[in-house]
Amino acid sequence: MDASLVFAQFLSGLSRGMMLFLIASGLSLIFGVMNILNFAHATLWLVGAYVCYTFWFLMQDYAFGLWLSIPLAALVLAAIGWVIEVVLIRRVYKRELPEQLLLTYALVLILGDLIKIVWGVEDKLIERPPLVEGPVFIFGMPFDSYFIFVILVGLAVAVGLWWFLQKTRYGHIVRAAVFSREMVSALGIPIPRIYSGVFALGIFIAGLAGAVQAPVGSITLGMDMAVVIQAFCVVVIGGFGSLLGTFVAALIVGEVYAFSILFWPQGALVLIFVVTAFILIIRPWGLFGTPTRA
Amino acid sequence: MKSKTTIIVCALMLLGGFTLAGTGLAAEPYNLGVNLAITGTGALYCKDGVDAIELAVAEINAQGGFLGKHPIELFIRDSHTKPDVAVREAKDLILRDKVRAILGTYSSACAVAIKPVAQEYKVLHIPAISNSENITMVNFSPYTYQVVPNSYMQAKAVVLGVAELAKKKGWKNYITIASDYEWGRSTQNNTVALLKQLAPDLKLTKEFWPALGETQYTSYITAIMGQKPDFVIGSVAAKDNVAWMKQATAYGFFEKIPYPGSLISVTELIVQAKSMTRGMVGLSRAPFFAHLDVPMMANFVKSFKAKYDRYPSDWAVMEYDAVYVLKQGVEKAGSIDTDKVKDALKGATVDTTRGRLYFRTIDNQLSCSSYIGVVADDPKYPFPIYHDLVEVKGPDSWRPEEEIVAARAK
Repeated sequence: MDASLVFAQFLSGLSRGMMLFLIASGLSLIFGVMNILNFAHATLWLVGAYVCYTFWFLMQDYAFGLWLSIPLAALVLAAIGWVIEVVLIRRVYKRELPEQLLLTYALVLILGDLIKIVWGVEDKLIERPPLVEGPVFIFGMPFDSYFIFVILVGLAVAVGLWWFLQKTRYGHIVRAAVFSREMVSALGIPIPRIYSGVFALGIFIAGLAGAVQAPVGSITLGMDMAVVIQAFCVVVIGGFGSLLGTFVAALIVGEVYAFSILFWPQGALVLIFVVTAFILIIRPWGLFGTPTRA
Repeated sequence: MKSKTTIIVCALMLLGGFTLAGTGLAAEPYNLGVNLAITGTGALYCKDGVDAIELAVAEINAQGGFLGKHPIELFIRDSHTKPDVAVREAKDLILRDKVRAILGTYSSACAVAIKPVAQEYKVLHIPAISNSENITMVNFSPYTYQVVPNSYMQAKAVVLGVAELAKKKGWKNYITIASDYEWGRSTQNNTVALLKQLAPDLKLTKEFWPALGETQYTSYITAIMGQKPDFVIGSVAAKDNVAWMKQATAYGFFEKIPYPGSLISVTELIVQAKSMTRGMVGLSRAPFFAHLDVPMMANFVKSFKAKYDRYPSDWAVMEYDAVYVLKQGVEKAGSIDTDKVKDALKGATVDTTRGRLYFRTIDNQLSCSSYIGVVADDPKYPFPIYHDLVEVKGPDSWRPEEEIVAARAK
């Protein structure tokens, strides 16, 4: 086993981790701030991929088509997120968790059927622009050039979210609302609008993640179900609501997966759940979560 | 007076009738429908198909048409690679243009959709390009004949071809990657078992089982490349295969490791003449260069090149054969009556550009070969062709009859 192979495996794990972080960070943000477990998150991620496909399809003759489609898809999803919050989610804040899950699971089914109606059942394919079609060589090992972009987007989202929550006034209000809705409300800040904004932001990231995923393979129905479990694993390991936790957990899951493929390919998926279970036993609130929240 | 006129008129009619029959003008034309994807994803393959059909029809019409007296009239329709459009066009061809046979199609979904329509209206149907096994295996229609090696034959041929190539190239070890579910598992098991039987020295060093619905294969790709196997056999589910192939391509995987089983037809060899990596192991359905010793193929390549200034692809070869299969069916039947032609073709031996072949009775599948080879440059052509060509014969690769009976009983 030479060092370059280990490095190549590390890079592939990193790219997988970043993809997971992109999906899980919105999920974690929404749960952390609003205490809503959004089961439909991965389905909205898939909608993001389809919307990106549509934009790309309209602009496919231009080299910038894909690069413009990705942020546009994220913006469309933010708008969809806003509407979903105002029309549906707002009504279940005070309800029990099972009812919230029922609502968001219903959304999974509704959105799934809407995708079928709008985009049909055929798989969609985005052709990558020439810039990210082939391999780049890092220390002599080939690496899919598109995943360099994926890793950069992942880092940008991580830094951007951190900056937003820690350094901006709006971020401070959001964090304050987590601790005391009443206090924030008493200061004259409209809580419903804050929540709508946070939900839209979470879905914006989901849409961005979906759009970034779109050119990786084909866009197919049911893709959301394959990733939703791993996204939940990431959030659970990291601790619900902790951005740093989600980031670290995504990297752990990505790397565990990558290296178990190298050494024990049959057990790659199992190992992720073993890690999740182990962390839950020693720290039920996750790596960076707080006990009260768990 | 009246009787005299009648005699003269009768005589004239008889005379006229004979003369017309003699020149063949009195006989009915043979309306032939073509249902191909002239625009859209299939256009690249189908253009060749249409050109080859037109060439074959021109050749036959120069002899007076089928049986020397039924000139062929072509009706060409675009399926847009959509089953609903294909069915609409097929119905239109049958009802309005009164075609007796439909050649086509590019997509297997279109072929499966047209099949019952052709059967209902008793029209012959030769899909010729689309090769899903289900076209002839289940919901069998006696009006559908296949002149392309089907998906089962191609998959089996890959294994037989790989065993052969392993001997030629001295390959020793390989890795498999297959989707972790029923089809992936059974395909991988069958392949490994068959390879063990055919090439006992080949060693399976590792098996990878990505979950069904996996979207990211990067870790598998780097892991496989790191092991440096002599070749890799993949059975990744259709939906996931796109992601796997796309990402593996982005890693330069196929340039480093032979991955037998990908379709590299003459179209790809020509279109990607510059960029295609030499040394890749490809699978093809009807490459002209495999049969230049057959006079019919040599003549076809010559005429095709003279008329269109390019070499014919697999798709051209098979559509050309489809027209000539029809011709031989008509000759055997001694009539252009569709039911008679259909019966004449049952189990018939036919001359094709790929040699003398026969239709198997149970599924109307032509005993045509599949071809595996290593992409390499050739001084005779401006594009690479296959070297170390392995031809796997139809009867060695098609599904056993008892399995077809079982599939139909389900």
